[in-house]
Amino acid sequence: MRAFDYVRATDTREAVRLLADDPEASCLAGGTTQLDLMKDGVLQPPRLIDITRLPLHGIERRDESLHVGALVTMEELAADTTVAERLPMVRESLLLGASVQLRNMATIGGNLLQRTRCRYFRDPTVPECNKRAPGSGCAAVQGAARMHAVLGASERCIALHASDLAVALVALDALVHIQGPTGSRTVPLTEFYLTADVSPERETVLEHAELITGVEIPLPPPAARSGYLKVRDRTSYEFALASAAVQLVLDDGTILEARVALGGVGTKPWRAHAAEHLLTGAPATTATFTEAAEATMQDAWTVPGTAFKVPLARRTLVRELQTVSGVTA
Amino acid sequence: MSTVESRTRIGAGVNRVDGPRKVTGTAPYPMDFSVPGQAYGALVQSTVAAGRIVRMHTEAAEAAPGVITVLTHENAPKVGTGPTTVLGAAPPPPLRNDRILHHGQHIAFVVADTPEQATAAARLVRADYEATEPLLDLQDPRAEQLVDPWGMDTSRGDAAAALKSAEVTLQATYTTADNTNNPLGLFATLAAWEGDALTVHDTSQWPSMVRTTLAMVFGIPESSVRVLVPYVGGGFGAGLRVWPHVILTAMAARMIKRPVKLVLTRPQMFTSIGHRPSGVQWLGVGATRDGELVALDHRSLSSLSMEDNDYEPFTWASSFAYRCPDVITQDRQARLNIAVPTSMRAPAEAQGNFALESALDELAHQLRIDPVELRLRNHADVDPRNGLPWSGKALRECYEVGAQRFGWSDRNPEPRSMRDGNWLVGYGMASALFPYFAQPCAAQATVRRDGSALVRSAAADIGTGTYTVMAQLAAEELGLPLDQVRFDLGDSDMPHSMMAGGSGLTGALGNAVHDACRRLLRQFAELAHDDADSPLRGFPPDDMECTDGRIHPTGRPDLGEPYADILARHGLTELTANGNSTPPVPTELGMSLSGAYGAKFVEVRVDADLGLIRVARVVSAIDGGRILNEKTARSQIIGGTVGGIGMTLLEDTATDPRTGRIANGTFADYLVAVNSDIPDLDVVFVGEPDRGTATGTKGVGEVGLVGIAAAIANAVHHATGKRIRDLPITLDALL
Amino acid sequence: MTRVTNASRRDTDDLPAVIERVVTLTVNGRPHTLRLDTRVTLLDALRDRLGLTGTKKGCDQGACGACTVHLDGRRVLACLTLAAQAEGRDVTTIEGVSGTDGHPHPVQQAFMEHDGFQCGFCTPGQIMSAMALMAEGRTGSDEEIREFMSGNLCRCGAYPNIVAAIREAAARGGHDARL
Repeated sequence: MRAFDYVRATDTREAVRLLADDPEASCLAGGTTQLDLMKDGVLQPPRLIDITRLPLHGIERRDESLHVGALVTMEELAADTTVAERLPMVRESLLLGASVQLRNMATIGGNLLQRTRCRYFRDPTVPECNKRAPGSGCAAVQGAARMHAVLGASERCIALHASDLAVALVALDALVHIQGPTGSRTVPLTEFYLTADVSPERETVLEHAELITGVEIPLPPPAARSGYLKVRDRTSYEFALASAAVQLVLDDGTILEARVALGGVGTKPWRAHAAEHLLTGAPATTATFTEAAEATMQDAWTVPGTAFKVPLARRTLVRELQTVSGVTA
Repeated sequence: MSTVESRTRIGAGVNRVDGPRKVTGTAPYPMDFSVPGQAYGALVQSTVAAGRIVRMHTEAAEAAPGVITVLTHENAPKVGTGPTTVLGAAPPPPLRNDRILHHGQHIAFVVADTPEQATAAARLVRADYEATEPLLDLQDPRAEQLVDPWGMDTSRGDAAAALKSAEVTLQATYTTADNTNNPLGLFATLAAWEGDALTVHDTSQWPSMVRTTLAMVFGIPESSVRVLVPYVGGGFGAGLRVWPHVILTAMAARMIKRPVKLVLTRPQMFTSIGHRPSGVQWLGVGATRDGELVALDHRSLSSLSMEDNDYEPFTWASSFAYRCPDVITQDRQARLNIAVPTSMRAPAEAQGNFALESALDELAHQLRIDPVELRLRNHADVDPRNGLPWSGKALRECYEVGAQRFGWSDRNPEPRSMRDGNWLVGYGMASALFPYFAQPCAAQATVRRDGSALVRSAAADIGTGTYTVMAQLAAEELGLPLDQVRFDLGDSDMPHSMMAGGSGLTGALGNAVHDACRRLLRQFAELAHDDADSPLRGFPPDDMECTDGRIHPTGRPDLGEPYADILARHGLTELTANGNSTPPVPTELGMSLSGAYGAKFVEVRVDADLGLIRVARVVSAIDGGRILNEKTARSQIIGGTVGGIGMTLLEDTATDPRTGRIANGTFADYLVAVNSDIPDLDVVFVGEPDRGTATGTKGVGEVGLVGIAAAIANAVHHATGKRIRDLPITLDALL
Repeated sequence: MTRVTNASRRDTDDLPAVIERVVTLTVNGRPHTLRLDTRVTLLDALRDRLGLTGTKKGCDQGACGACTVHLDGRRVLACLTLAAQAEGRDVTTIEGVSGTDGHPHPVQQAFMEHDGFQCGFCTPGQIMSAMALMAEGRTGSDEEIREFMSGNLCRCGAYPNIVAAIREAAARGGHDARL
């Protein structure tokens, strides 16, 4: 690790100012991505602003939305009663997202900003990585790719966005509250992420010195049912090969409302608008689900090591649609 | 010739004597040691796989805060090479020249005042290379192939002719992946010199060999080297050799005249301490229609580095696993630009057994014979190589007891016939063996004036329970309660020990402890023989035994007296005896040493749509000969099973096909089994003490792993109808 | 034949001198004031500066659980926590688990009875995790124990015995006042 200056911020404005004053400074929250990448030599900030003691730890229900402070941990959010009662898919994505130890450390804001697990990105001795060194190429495309993306992927970059929580949150149209040097703004999570086929080196719309202060999750209608299915080699403690967040409102066998997002397959958490469009108003049948899954994956871009993800993601989505709807025929 | 002594077949499952230290965090592992004034090392590794170094740039690192020195091939002193052992010639020493033979090769060693400084400065070392195209593909025709590298190829009868004329034949190709040993404990070395005397704390499964190696490398007497390894954070074979980083650490410490400590990083654990090589195997099986094997042709090719060697005779055990008149087995290795492979738990057998036992399952399916029945019909009642009886083989009992506990008879033989919701259910089984292995071993036993005993040997306990079972054995031999016996190990100043590997240590060391204790007993008896005050006076010293801490003529406990009384009367504070063991010779025994056997029964569940594979149940019926401690032996079988599940379903060291870089060299990317992957595992021990050695043990460190891969693959076939011949079996293959 | 170099540009920039910070850590109830390089993790501070080597380094990347300690009563990974981040928080390590009477904690005792370890290297982390698991109330079934102990790798493969040990420790009264 490169030597760095450590500063502990005590209020949000100060944190933003400290960041604004130093174009190379980074935030430190749970540390599970930041310190890991610093040890790998991928990130070498000369200054770390420890934001863990900022007053962004609250979970508050306001009418039909849940306001979650950016520094709430994954474990704390999973234990929240509103999440347990109204947002089962969020809870499942959290519990399946990491070990308990990591969940006690990782924050909601940090989770949304977690970096890819691509080992070509994470090893700075690999010269070709458009994410680390724009314009240098992508070694993973011709490499040992398996845990990589097929949606939003291209020969420029196939780095996977590995978050589970963000998949559930994009499906729910969560909002990201951001504070920057010139004020605050709110960005829908669906517009927060950029895909790697467009800008491998830039993953979100967040600017330097902007801080996520919280996430606002609209609560689904009481009639909605939801779930999160994560498929992986290990039974636990592994990133997804494919995952599906599904929320449905059904009425007598007809799908009134569908929210669908996929994980483990995209260079960003992948909202499946095409699937939602096909599902909405259609009968809840396996035929409908299959059609929706095929539409979702039709633009996949694969390399030999990732080709299996196309059928896997389809089947994962069909299975979760069946599970949430209770329809297996 | 040794004789089997009458003892309990299964020893008490007492708790580990080192348990209190392990659960309180006070057991010191190599990385836990520190000495005043120590400096810290960090490795710099090659970022190309083949070629040569044109220039090293070390100026920035040398100028970095806290840096003491940077070693490269340009300034490293020339050193010697370690001894040739049963595993072959020693690894070539580090930093000899400018050649690059694999990605991750050590090209520099940075030493600094703190670990943070050493690690940061190591990133500042740059190298210019002339890189050439690396050879990375096992079947690349340009790769040099070593033919019969261990002289263990076999041939009896005429397998080719028998295969041609067989009523039924089967030809299949199987592949196994690179696996990485990945013990949890990061390998660490702490080297401290005092003049020409060297003390090393090192992660090793073979302290005696580390001492010999370091003495040869640095040209100093063995008596000047002391290697300390009281605890090892696992090894699984990775600690059987003295790797270049150990020599680098000692080399640097000598140069800077300060102790140096090195702890490998997890990514470095993938390239610095060996791994299980990838392999391809070709099986030809000929049989009669009623399932009698008439021909077996088993050949393998496995990966090897450009230099160095790896003992990995995949196919050898196929020459004696079953009764079959015409057999040929052949192994080859291809030299590639990869880090050197090495033994990993159940070396060679893990791979060879997967191919053989998969093929037998295919044959059983083809002939519509029950897989257990097929194996029973081909059981080798005597050693098919030489006709000698086995020193102990309860494989038939393994099948019988294992099948009964598992409920094998409930199996519908038709593939894809059993289902539970989305889960396809499959049952599979396989036989397992791990050949007998032992090396010379020594131990020393002392009884002190207070009546307690200290027994010692320079062995390592890598978690197998050596501390515990040797204390149990010595307590039994000396007739003392367990808490009056201490067994010490992990110090090369103690009597020489063989490696903790190859399932050999318990047997070889046990026999040495047995010998030391018998000799000690005899010394006491000789003292008492002419002692007018001893109730043992006049009794023959060869015919003594010990009960409840009292030595007495065999069968006459009423005439005994405590050790302490004899010592006291003779003015002695202690008596010590040395014992030895050497591997028995089959021709002298008139028996073939059989090693451990087992039968594995597995239930898997495969998600019909998603291809997820979950192991639901495993029954392991094991013939491990005499079991010294049922608790620790059971743990060995459980642990081997977990390793086998990992090898079968998860583990695959991925190499970048262009650069030779390990592409998943972390614990987040290289998958080993986690707790939730493992169901309750049923283990049952059958059989009798082995007749080949005094203590009757066989060693159970490897046999738990062998057979798991084939049993799972066979169960996956039964569940899905798909025969997967390539490990690991992941959901990709089942979609 | 190609020419390559193995360091990115940024690596060759001038390094700042070592930056130090005075940190007070409260470990097992006792305060320790240390002058530390800012890069020092809680794990390295415990092991290298305080001599508390019971907490193990198995990956240093947050992927094995060997460095599990309790921070304000919750299980976390010491390898991905800077020592400076632990300031003002209560750190509990394996050394702080046994009773003052020297008797092992019931979880430690259960691990010994059930042979819940082999080489023993992952064991302190397993035990710290198991104690937290009990406090979290996640010992309702073997499946639950397995799932919520999956952040602690055991390469020796002692998992079934670890589950048995936790099952028994939980049945004997769960978490006690010492946690």
